[in-house]
Amino acid sequence: MHNTNEMTVEFQSIPQNESFARMVVAAFITGTNPTLEEVSDIKTAVSEAVTNAIIHGYEHKEGIVKIRARVDGRTVYLEISDKGCGIQNISQAMEPLYTSKPEEERSGMGFSFMEAFMDRLEVESTYGVGTIVKMWKEIGVTGHPYE
Amino acid sequence: MKCYEVDNEAMIYYLPRELDHYAADRLKRKTEEIFAQQTVRYLIFDFEKTVFMDSSGIGLITGRFRRVNDQGGKVYVIHVGLGIDKILELSGIYRIVQKMDSKEDILKEMVEGGYYA
Repeated sequence: MHNTNEMTVEFQSIPQNESFARMVVAAFITGTNPTLEEVSDIKTAVSEAVTNAIIHGYEHKEGIVKIRARVDGRTVYLEISDKGCGIQNISQAMEPLYTSKPEEERSGMGFSFMEAFMDRLEVESTYGVGTIVKMWKEIGVTGHPYE
Repeated sequence: MKCYEVDNEAMIYYLPRELDHYAADRLKRKTEEIFAQQTVRYLIFDFEKTVFMDSSGIGLITGRFRRVNDQGGKVYVIHVGLGIDKILELSGIYRIVQKMDSKEDILKEMVEGGYYA
């Protein structure tokens, strides 16, 4: 059996919505029968991308964060986008421990976590226009470490 | 429910269920004054209730670490579950933070190590 499903959700760029975003995606992927660890990995990746959109994309100003999620069999595809300021230097932004906001005590590990917890990550950004983060993860690959 | 407690030169953070950017920022703001008011040398981050954390949690710990490190202090994490451990491990934070089972174990180590009179 091959199931596909898709959803789109848009919300205001406020920190309170970070947990909402994680919950929505976690609920959406339930049909792929993920392990607790896989759900947790995906929630972390979503949280990183949404936090980036709020802090860096919109720089705490008002805006709309959009999540597109798609399930194709056991592959989860996520697209988190904003129409914020964009990233000038993507490879620098993706360097582990690099942060453009050390004064806010950001760890600089957002993209590293997305890469570590998902199978594949792509970032598209146009300075002044916005950023799209695309992530893929195959469900059913990791074991059951909690059992 | 208190989210932190200060005992002598030790401060313990009772971390929330979900430690994300929103929660980390609130905690930072709530405890900011304490560092200005008194000497804090030991920090304990208690993950007992925590089931979720992202890199904002790492930012919270490293930010507080910088504050106590100047005072020759030490930072501990306690009640770390498997999911949280994976994040802490991946971040490399165990190079500067020590994992212990409980507050009692930290006190025991401090007394034995002569940190505490």
